[in-house]
Amino acid sequence: MPSTSLALTPGLGSFLQCLKTNPIDTSIETLISLLKRRQIRHSRSCATATACLLRGVITSCRTNDSAKLIERVQNVGRRLMAAQPREMVVGNIVRRVLGLIRDEAEDDREAEFSLSEVGSESQPQTPRAYDDPSLPLDRDSPSLRDDRTPRPPLTSMFSLLSQPEPENSLPSTPGSQSPGGRLFSHGSTKDVRSEVIEGIKEIIDELGQVDDQIAAYALDHIHSNEIILTHTSSTTVQKFLLKAAAKRKFTVIHAESFPNNHDAVHATVSGAAKNEDENLGVEAFQKPLIEHGITVILIPDSAVFAMMSRVNKVILGTHSVLANGGLVAAAGTRIIARAAKVHQTPVVVVSGVYKLSPVYPFDFDSLIEYGDPSKVLAYEDGDLVDQIDVQNPIYDYVPAELVDLYITNLGGHAPSYLYRIVSDHYRKEDISF
Amino acid sequence: MWFENENDTDSDVVPVMAPKQKGGQKPKANTADEVEETFQAVVLADTFETRFEPFTRDKPRCLLPLANTPLIEYTLEFLANAGVEEVFLYGGAHSDQLEKYLNASKWRALSSPFKQLSFLKSTSTSVGDVMRDLDGKHLITGDFIVVSGDVISNLPIEGALAQHRKRRESDKNAIMTMVLREAGLNHRTKSSSVSPVFVIDPTKDRCLHYEEIDHHNNDEQPARLNIDSELILSNLELDIRQDLIDCSIDICTPDVLSLWSDSFDYQSPRKHYLHGVLKDYELNGKTLHTYIIKDHYAARVRNLKAYDAVSKDILARWTYPLCPDTNLLPGHSYDLRKGSLYQEKGVTLARSCVIGRRTVIGKGTSIGDRTEIKNTVLGRNCKVGRNVKLEGAYIWDNVVIGDGVDVRGAIIADGVVLGNNCTVAAGALLSYGVKIADGISIESGKRITRTRIDGTVGKNDPAVVGEGGEGYEFIHGEEEDDDDDDDVSVASSGLVYRMPGLSLSSVSISTLSSDVSDNSWGQSEGSLLSDDEESDNFHHDASISLYDSLREGVAADVVQLELVTLRMTANASDNQVRRAIVEAFMKHIEQLMEGGKGAGPAVNEVFNAYKEVIERTLFDRTKDQKNDQVDLLLLLQQDLVNRNKGDTVLLFTAKSLYELELVEEEAYDQWWNDERSSNTEEMRTVRTQAQQFVDWLADAEEESSEEEDSEEESDEE
Repeated sequence: MPSTSLALTPGLGSFLQCLKTNPIDTSIETLISLLKRRQIRHSRSCATATACLLRGVITSCRTNDSAKLIERVQNVGRRLMAAQPREMVVGNIVRRVLGLIRDEAEDDREAEFSLSEVGSESQPQTPRAYDDPSLPLDRDSPSLRDDRTPRPPLTSMFSLLSQPEPENSLPSTPGSQSPGGRLFSHGSTKDVRSEVIEGIKEIIDELGQVDDQIAAYALDHIHSNEIILTHTSSTTVQKFLLKAAAKRKFTVIHAESFPNNHDAVHATVSGAAKNEDENLGVEAFQKPLIEHGITVILIPDSAVFAMMSRVNKVILGTHSVLANGGLVAAAGTRIIARAAKVHQTPVVVVSGVYKLSPVYPFDFDSLIEYGDPSKVLAYEDGDLVDQIDVQNPIYDYVPAELVDLYITNLGGHAPSYLYRIVSDHYRKEDISF
Repeated sequence: MWFENENDTDSDVVPVMAPKQKGGQKPKANTADEVEETFQAVVLADTFETRFEPFTRDKPRCLLPLANTPLIEYTLEFLANAGVEEVFLYGGAHSDQLEKYLNASKWRALSSPFKQLSFLKSTSTSVGDVMRDLDGKHLITGDFIVVSGDVISNLPIEGALAQHRKRRESDKNAIMTMVLREAGLNHRTKSSSVSPVFVIDPTKDRCLHYEEIDHHNNDEQPARLNIDSELILSNLELDIRQDLIDCSIDICTPDVLSLWSDSFDYQSPRKHYLHGVLKDYELNGKTLHTYIIKDHYAARVRNLKAYDAVSKDILARWTYPLCPDTNLLPGHSYDLRKGSLYQEKGVTLARSCVIGRRTVIGKGTSIGDRTEIKNTVLGRNCKVGRNVKLEGAYIWDNVVIGDGVDVRGAIIADGVVLGNNCTVAAGALLSYGVKIADGISIESGKRITRTRIDGTVGKNDPAVVGEGGEGYEFIHGEEEDDDDDDDVSVASSGLVYRMPGLSLSSVSISTLSSDVSDNSWGQSEGSLLSDDEESDNFHHDASISLYDSLREGVAADVVQLELVTLRMTANASDNQVRRAIVEAFMKHIEQLMEGGKGAGPAVNEVFNAYKEVIERTLFDRTKDQKNDQVDLLLLLQQDLVNRNKGDTVLLFTAKSLYELELVEEEAYDQWWNDERSSNTEEMRTVRTQAQQFVDWLADAEEESSEEEDSEEESDEE
C-alpha cells in the first residue's frame, strides 16, 4: 500500500504517534534526531513537538518534588536546544514549562506557609537576597520568599489592558495571575504534576489558536483601499489578511521570497496550497485571498523597493522574535524592512507570543541558518560548483528599529516594549539555563 | 524541504507540513498496514574494492571519517530519512570493528529510527556473493533499498519509491529502480576515470543498456559504445546519458535477488549485474528502470577523488542538512561561523593564526602562531605547530604537526606525527600511526603506511620517513587490485595511479597525473621492455580481454581466437602476445590465491585449462635455441617480481609448464643462465624458490656434472 509507506516518513505526525507508544526516553532521542535532520521544522511544529514531549516527560516523572521536575525538564530542554539551536521556539517552550513548574511550586509553598505559618525553617537570610529583591528565587530556601512578592512584580499594563481572553491567558501570562486565587483553588496537598500538565495542555491549545487570536486584531490595522505588502507564505499573515478581507477591500502585494519559499508563495497566492495544519486537526481548508475579491499582486523580491512607494503598510511573518525587539525572519525580510524605512512605510510584524524569545542577540550571525545552495545554483553546473562558494541563508536578522509594531495574540506592542512581555512569560532564572 | 515532497518551502514562517503526514490523523488504521510490509534496506558496508588503501588496512572503509563523521553515519541518516525500518548491514574487511562501532552507536539504541539493524557477516569477496547470500537467508520480504555504505544523500526517497511501486503494480517485471543524480559533463563529484553510460528510454524511464567507459584504457582510441541495433530500431526515443552520477541507491524487489542467484558469476552490481540483466532481457523479461533527480544531493565516496569532492560538497552545504553543524554524532558540537568555518567547542587558536574559508576544526585541536589553514578538515585533538601551512588537507584525529610544516592536498590519518619543517605534497596519503622525522618531504602521490596487508606492523623505511620515523612506502603493485570488482582490469590499477584523485587539489592534477603514471608503468613493466604506444595498446587490450575471459571461464579455443584477432589487428609481435598472456594469467592466479586457493592448485588449474593458448605462442619446439620459451619464462619471472608470493608462483608455474610439456628442460637451463634473469636484485629474489626445481630438473636428467657446461653447449650450438 503505497500511501502507507509515504506516511512512514518521519515528521511531526510520526513523532506524535511515537510519543503515544514509546517510552519517554526514546521519544526524547527521536525528537532530537528529528530536529537535527530538520524533519521537524518551522516554529509551530517545533513548538508543538516540544510541548507534547515535555508533557510526556512530566507525566513520566514519578515525583511531585518540583525541584526534581525542574531539573528533569532543564535536562531535556538543554538537549533539545543543543540539537537545533536555531529553532528558538524549542527553548521558549521549555522555559515556559519551567516557569509553570516554579509557579506551582511557589503556590504550593505559600499554601503550606499559610497553613502552618512560618516557623522552624527560618534560615539566616543572606545579604545578597536583600540587595536584590527582584532576584529571590533560590528554590532551596523557601523562607526567603514568603515575606515578599512570590515572583517579580510583573503585572504589566499590557497584559492588563489587552488580554483578549482572560480565561485562556492563564498559562500564557503566568506572571499576571494573582497568587491568592491559586491558593484558594487547591489545598496543601495539591499535585504539582497534574497542575503542570494542565498548564502544558493550555500551551498546546494556545499554539493551535494563536493565529486566530492574532487575526482578531486585523480589522484594527487594515483599512479599506490600503495596499499591503507581504513576504513568504506565512499562515499567520494569511489568516490575518483573510480576516480583514471578510469586511474590507484592499490590495496585497506579495513578494515571492525566492529561493527558499517561492513555491509555497505561488501556491498560497493561487490557492493551491495544501492545508498545512491538517495533521493538527485544527483548521479547515482555507480559501485564498483572491476568492475573497482581494487583488493579489505577486512580485519578485527585487521589485520590492520600486513598489514600496505605493505601499501603505508592510505586514511580515517571522521565525522568531528576540528580546531586544529584533527578529529573525525569512531571508529577504530585512531588505523589505529597510525599503519600508526609506519610504516611511509602517512595518507590522505578526507573531505568536510563543515565538518571542528571551534571548538577547549578541551574535546575529549565529542565529542565521544557511541552507542548501542548490536552490541558488544548480548542482549540475560542475565548473561553477567547483570554483565558487554559494551561500543560501534561510533567515535574516531584522533590527528592532526597522519594525514599527508587533501584533501578538496579546495585542499590539511597540518593539521597545517587548522586554515587558518577555518578563511576563519567562522567569529570570530560566533565561539562560 | 528535507522531507517535503512537492513544496519547496523553507522559510520558517510557513508551518507547511508535507501531505504524507495525513497518516498522523488516523494512526490506528495505518499500523496494521505498516506491519504488513516493513521497509527494508541492505547496506553494503564493504564494496570489496581497494581504493582506499592503505587506510583500509586498519579500518573498514565505511568508518573512515568524512568531514569528521564516519561515512556510514551519512548512509544510515539517509536511510533514516527515507523511513526505512529494517536495515541489514553486510560487513567485509574489519567487520568486527564495524560491528563494535554500530553496537555503541545511536542506531542500536531504543530511539533508533530503525526497528531492526542486523549486522550480517559473510565470507563474501564481492557484491554478488553478498546478494546471493542474502537471497539464501530469505530475510527480504518486500521492496527494499540497496545502498553501499558510502552513500551521502539528502534525497527524500518517497518520489522514487512511489514511482517504483506504481510501475510495479502495472508491470510485475519492473524489478529495480536506480536513483541517478543529474550532473553536467564535468563535475567534481563524478567519477572521472570510468564513466557509466546509461541508455534510457525516457518515455518509460527504462534503462535499456549500460556500459562503462574506461577513460584510461585507450587514450588515443575514442571511447566506444556497443548498442544493440535492435534497441535503436525498436525504441522511438533513446537517451544516451553520460552526465549522471551513479550514487548506487537502488530500489529493488525480491526478484532482483533471485536474478543474482541465477547468475553465479555476476560480481559487481553495475558492470556485471546491470549489464548482464539488460543484455538477457529476452531471456528473463525483467526490466530495470531509472529515477533521475535534478535536485537534492546524492553521491558516493567511491574513491579518493570522490572523497575530496564530497568533502567539499559537505562543507559547501550541498548536502544540507547533513553538514558538520548538524552534529550527527552525539558529542559533536560543530558550529557554523562566517566563511564556511565549522568549529567545535574547545578549540585553541593562537592569536596570530589565520583560519581561512571552508575549514572544519574538531574539539581539542590547538593551532599555533602564524599558522595558515584553508580548505582543510582537521579532526579532534590535533596539535598544529607554528608557521604551518595547511591547504586542502584532510587531517583526521590526534595528529601532531610540527612547526613550519607545509601540507597541501594530502590525507593524514589518525595518530600521524609530522616532524618540524616537513613538506607533504598533494596526493600523498599518510596512513595510521605513521611518524615522519624532521625535515622530510613527502612527494606527491606517495602512500606511507605502517600496517602490512596481514595487519602486522611493517618494517620502517628510513629513506621514506627519515631517521626515527615509522612507516614504509606502500606500493600499489604489492597486491594489485585484483579484488577491485567494479572494474577489474589491468587498466584499473593504472587508473589508480593516474587518477587525479591522488592529487587531491585540483591545481596539481596536470603535473601530478602525468608523472605518477609514468612511474607506475615504469615499475610494473620493468626496464626490459620498451614498447611504442601502439604495442602498449595491444598489451592493454589483450591482457584485459584475456583476463576477463579467464575469470569468466571462457573455453580455451575461444580465448585463442580472440587473441589471434587482437594480434592481427595490432600486428603485435610474439613477445607482446606472450607478455599479455603472462600478465593476464598471473593476475588471474593471484586472484584465485587471494580467494583462498593454494599457489599450486591455482597454477595448475589455469595452465591445464588454457594449455593450448600458451602452446600457440611458442614456436621453437624444434629448435635448439629455445628463445621463445626462455622469453616466456623471463616474462613470467619479471611479472611475478611485482606480485604477492611471486617466488612461489614462479616455482609452481615452472613445474606446471614442464609437466604440460610446454617448456622443455633445455629452455629452463637457458633461462636460468640467461643474464637477464639474474641481473637485478628483484629478479634474483623472485627466482630463489625456482632454484630447487631447476636443480631437480638437472638431477632428473642426470646431467648434474654438466650443469655449467650446458650453457656453453647451447651457446656453441
